[in-house]
Amino acid sequence: MNEQRRDVLDLLAEGKITAEEAEQLIAALDRDRPLAGTGSMPGARPKGRPKHLRVVVDTVEKGEPGRVNVRVPLQLLRAGVRLAALIPPQALGRANTELTKAGVPVDLTQLKPEQLEALVEHLEEVSVEVDQPDAKVRVFCE
Amino acid sequence: MPQLVTLRIRRPDRRPLRLRVPVIPVLVLLSPLLVLAVLAAAVACRIYRVSAVQALGTGLRVVSALPGARVDIDHGSTAVLVAIR
Repeated sequence: MNEQRRDVLDLLAEGKITAEEAEQLIAALDRDRPLAGTGSMPGARPKGRPKHLRVVVDTVEKGEPGRVNVRVPLQLLRAGVRLAALIPPQALGRANTELTKAGVPVDLTQLKPEQLEALVEHLEEVSVEVDQPDAKVRVFCE
Repeated sequence: MPQLVTLRIRRPDRRPLRLRVPVIPVLVLLSPLLVLAVLAAAVACRIYRVSAVQALGTGLRVVSALPGARVDIDHGSTAVLVAIR
Protein backbone atom coordinates (compact mmCIF):
# COMPACT_ATOMS: atom_id res chain seq x y z
CA MET A 1 0.00 0.00 0.00
CA ASN A 2 1.48 3.36 -0.90
CA GLU A 3 1.74 6.24 1.51
CA GLN A 4 -0.90 8.49 -0.10
CA ARG A 5 -3.49 5.73 -0.02
CA ARG A 6 -2.67 5.08 3.63
CA ASP A 7 -3.15 8.82 4.38
CA VAL A 8 -6.60 8.73 2.78
CA LEU A 9 -7.57 5.69 4.86
CA ASP A 10 -6.25 7.39 7.99
CA LEU A 11 -8.40 10.45 7.24
CA LEU A 12 -11.39 8.15 6.78
CA ALA A 13 -10.65 6.32 10.03
CA GLU A 14 -10.37 9.63 11.89
CA GLY A 15 -13.74 10.70 10.46
CA LYS A 16 -12.27 13.72 8.70
CA ILE A 17 -13.62 12.61 5.31
CA THR A 18 -16.60 10.51 4.30
CA ALA A 19 -16.39 7.09 2.63
CA GLU A 20 -17.44 8.64 -0.70
CA GLU A 21 -14.71 11.27 -0.50
CA ALA A 22 -12.18 8.57 0.36
CA GLU A 23 -13.32 6.55 -2.65
CA GLN A 24 -12.94 9.56 -4.93
CA LEU A 25 -9.46 10.31 -3.58
CA ILE A 26 -8.31 6.70 -4.00
CA ALA A 27 -9.72 6.63 -7.54
CA ALA A 28 -7.79 9.82 -8.30
CA LEU A 29 -4.60 8.27 -6.88
CA ASP A 30 -5.12 5.17 -9.06
CA ARG A 31 -5.44 7.39 -12.12
CA ASP A 32 -2.18 9.13 -11.29
CA ARG A 33 -0.25 5.99 -10.35
CA PRO A 34 0.76 4.76 -13.84
CA LEU A 35 2.52 8.09 -14.37
CA ALA A 36 4.04 8.52 -10.96
CA GLY A 37 4.79 5.00 -9.81
CA THR A 38 6.16 3.18 -12.85
CA GLY A 39 9.67 2.93 -11.44
CA SER A 40 8.60 1.62 -8.07
CA MET A 41 6.34 -1.19 -9.20
CA PRO A 42 7.83 -4.57 -8.27
CA GLY A 43 7.59 -6.02 -11.76
CA ALA A 44 8.73 -2.91 -13.56
CA ARG A 45 12.39 -2.62 -14.39
CA PRO A 46 14.02 0.73 -14.78
CA LYS A 47 15.40 1.57 -18.20
CA GLY A 48 18.96 1.79 -16.95
CA ARG A 49 19.10 -1.62 -15.37
CA PRO A 50 22.70 -2.88 -15.34
CA LYS A 51 23.60 -5.57 -17.82
CA HIS A 52 27.29 -6.08 -17.17
CA LEU A 53 29.59 -6.66 -14.24
CA ARG A 54 32.73 -4.61 -14.67
CA VAL A 55 36.06 -5.16 -12.98
CA VAL A 56 38.57 -2.40 -13.62
CA VAL A 57 42.06 -2.55 -12.15
CA ASP A 58 44.52 0.29 -12.68
CA THR A 59 48.06 -0.33 -11.53
CA VAL A 60 51.46 1.24 -11.77
CA GLU A 61 54.17 -1.40 -11.67
CA LYS A 62 57.84 -0.43 -12.01
CA GLY A 63 56.76 2.90 -13.44
CA GLU A 64 54.64 1.30 -16.15
CA PRO A 65 50.91 1.82 -16.04
CA GLY A 66 48.72 -1.24 -16.36
CA ARG A 67 45.02 -1.70 -16.75
CA VAL A 68 42.75 -4.72 -16.56
CA ASN A 69 39.26 -4.14 -17.79
CA VAL A 70 36.84 -7.08 -17.64
CA ARG A 71 33.20 -6.87 -18.62
CA VAL A 72 31.03 -9.90 -17.93
CA PRO A 73 27.36 -9.98 -18.91
CA LEU A 74 25.20 -10.59 -15.83
CA GLN A 75 23.26 -13.04 -17.97
CA LEU A 76 26.44 -15.10 -18.24
CA LEU A 77 26.76 -15.17 -14.45
CA ARG A 78 23.14 -16.29 -14.18
CA ALA A 79 23.76 -19.06 -16.72
CA GLY A 80 27.00 -19.94 -14.98
CA VAL A 81 25.40 -20.54 -11.60
CA ARG A 82 23.16 -23.14 -13.23
CA LEU A 83 26.32 -25.13 -13.92
CA ALA A 84 26.46 -25.73 -10.17
CA ALA A 85 23.42 -27.98 -10.54
CA LEU A 86 25.41 -30.20 -12.89
CA ILE A 87 28.22 -30.95 -10.46
CA PRO A 88 28.00 -34.67 -9.60
CA PRO A 89 27.23 -35.39 -5.92
CA GLN A 90 30.48 -37.38 -5.61
CA ALA A 91 32.47 -34.31 -6.64
CA LEU A 92 30.57 -32.15 -4.14
CA GLY A 93 31.31 -34.68 -1.40
CA ARG A 94 35.03 -34.66 -2.20
CA ALA A 95 35.07 -30.87 -2.38
CA ASN A 96 33.34 -30.72 1.03
CA THR A 97 35.98 -33.02 2.50
CA GLU A 98 38.83 -30.91 1.12
CA LEU A 99 37.19 -27.68 2.28
CA THR A 100 36.76 -29.07 5.78
CA LYS A 101 40.42 -30.17 5.80
CA ALA A 102 41.41 -26.64 4.79
CA GLY A 103 39.41 -25.22 7.69
CA VAL A 104 36.44 -24.03 5.63
CA PRO A 105 33.53 -26.17 6.78
CA VAL A 106 31.12 -25.31 3.97
CA ASP A 107 28.58 -27.86 2.82
CA LEU A 108 28.34 -27.31 -0.93
CA THR A 109 25.43 -29.75 -1.22
CA GLN A 110 23.31 -27.22 0.66
CA LEU A 111 24.03 -24.54 -1.93
CA LYS A 112 20.97 -24.30 -4.17
CA PRO A 113 21.00 -22.76 -7.67
CA GLU A 114 18.13 -20.46 -6.60
CA GLN A 115 20.31 -19.03 -3.81
CA LEU A 116 23.15 -18.43 -6.26
CA GLU A 117 20.74 -16.77 -8.67
CA ALA A 118 19.51 -14.48 -5.90
CA LEU A 119 23.15 -13.64 -5.20
CA VAL A 120 23.74 -12.69 -8.85
CA GLU A 121 20.48 -10.71 -8.86
CA HIS A 122 21.74 -8.56 -6.00
CA LEU A 123 25.16 -8.08 -7.57
CA GLU A 124 23.55 -5.25 -9.52
CA GLU A 125 23.66 -3.14 -6.39
CA VAL A 126 27.26 -3.98 -5.56
CA SER A 127 29.97 -1.39 -5.95
CA VAL A 128 33.45 -1.99 -4.58
CA GLU A 129 36.29 0.49 -4.78
CA VAL A 130 39.77 -0.11 -3.46
CA ASP A 131 42.11 2.82 -3.77
CA GLN A 132 45.82 2.49 -3.03
CA PRO A 133 48.78 4.63 -4.14
CA ASP A 134 49.89 2.10 -6.77
CA ALA A 135 46.60 0.40 -7.58
CA LYS A 136 42.95 1.14 -7.92
CA VAL A 137 40.30 -1.56 -8.15
CA ARG A 138 36.68 -0.96 -9.03
CA VAL A 139 33.96 -3.59 -9.22
CA PHE A 140 30.54 -2.40 -10.29
CA CYS A 141 27.61 -3.06 -12.55
CA GLU A 142 26.63 -0.92 -15.51
CA MET B 1 24.63 -16.79 -29.75
CA PRO B 2 28.07 -15.20 -30.26
CA GLN B 3 28.66 -13.98 -33.80
CA LEU B 4 32.14 -12.55 -33.71
CA VAL B 5 35.15 -12.95 -31.45
CA THR B 6 37.75 -10.21 -31.66
CA LEU B 7 41.27 -10.92 -30.48
CA ARG B 8 43.84 -8.17 -30.35
CA ILE B 9 47.40 -8.66 -29.17
CA ARG B 10 49.97 -5.90 -28.94
CA ARG B 11 53.57 -6.76 -28.16
CA PRO B 12 56.47 -4.35 -27.68
CA ASP B 13 58.67 -5.52 -30.53
CA ARG B 14 56.15 -6.89 -33.00
CA ARG B 15 53.31 -5.72 -35.17
CA PRO B 16 49.96 -5.72 -33.40
CA LEU B 17 47.86 -8.75 -34.21
CA ARG B 18 44.15 -8.32 -34.71
CA LEU B 19 41.93 -11.30 -35.41
CA ARG B 20 38.20 -11.24 -36.03
CA VAL B 21 36.82 -14.76 -35.83
CA PRO B 22 33.30 -15.32 -37.16
CA VAL B 23 31.87 -17.95 -34.84
CA ILE B 24 29.28 -19.65 -37.06
CA PRO B 25 31.62 -20.44 -40.01
CA VAL B 26 34.26 -21.73 -37.59
CA LEU B 27 31.68 -23.93 -35.88
CA VAL B 28 30.56 -25.28 -39.24
CA LEU B 29 34.19 -26.00 -40.11
CA LEU B 30 34.77 -27.76 -36.80
CA SER B 31 31.41 -29.54 -36.77
CA PRO B 32 32.90 -33.07 -37.01
CA LEU B 33 34.96 -32.37 -33.89
CA LEU B 34 31.94 -30.75 -32.27
CA VAL B 35 29.88 -33.91 -32.79
CA LEU B 36 32.64 -35.96 -31.16
CA ALA B 37 32.80 -33.50 -28.25
CA VAL B 38 29.02 -33.70 -27.75
CA LEU B 39 29.19 -37.51 -27.78
CA ALA B 40 32.03 -37.47 -25.25
CA ALA B 41 30.04 -35.06 -23.06
CA ALA B 42 26.97 -37.34 -23.29
CA VAL B 43 29.11 -40.33 -22.16
CA ALA B 44 30.56 -38.24 -19.31
CA CYS B 45 27.04 -37.24 -18.25
CA ARG B 46 26.02 -40.92 -18.19
CA ILE B 47 29.06 -41.91 -16.16
CA TYR B 48 28.54 -39.14 -13.60
CA ARG B 49 24.75 -39.56 -13.58
CA VAL B 50 24.03 -36.05 -14.71
CA SER B 51 21.05 -35.33 -16.96
CA ALA B 52 22.44 -34.91 -20.49
CA VAL B 53 19.44 -32.77 -21.48
CA GLN B 54 19.95 -30.47 -18.50
CA ALA B 55 23.67 -30.27 -19.24
CA LEU B 56 23.00 -29.42 -22.90
CA GLY B 57 20.47 -26.76 -21.92
CA THR B 58 22.85 -25.18 -19.43
CA GLY B 59 25.69 -25.28 -21.94
CA LEU B 60 23.55 -23.53 -24.55
CA ARG B 61 22.49 -20.92 -22.00
CA VAL B 62 26.10 -20.19 -21.14
CA VAL B 63 27.12 -19.94 -24.80
CA SER B 64 24.15 -17.72 -25.68
CA ALA B 65 25.00 -15.39 -22.76
CA LEU B 66 28.58 -14.86 -23.97
CA PRO B 67 27.97 -11.86 -26.28
CA GLY B 68 29.03 -8.68 -24.54
CA ALA B 69 31.88 -10.33 -22.63
CA ARG B 70 35.14 -8.47 -22.90
CA VAL B 71 38.55 -8.91 -21.32
CA ASP B 72 41.07 -6.15 -21.88
CA ILE B 73 44.53 -6.35 -20.29
CA ASP B 74 46.94 -3.53 -20.89
CA HIS B 75 50.40 -3.36 -19.35
CA GLY B 76 52.91 -0.86 -20.63
CA SER B 77 53.40 -1.58 -24.31
CA THR B 78 51.77 -5.04 -24.14
CA ALA B 79 48.05 -5.50 -24.47
CA VAL B 80 45.55 -8.30 -25.01
CA LEU B 81 41.91 -7.85 -25.82
CA VAL B 82 39.27 -10.55 -26.21
CA ALA B 83 35.79 -9.35 -27.04
CA ILE B 84 32.77 -11.45 -27.88
CA ARG B 85 29.87 -9.99 -29.84
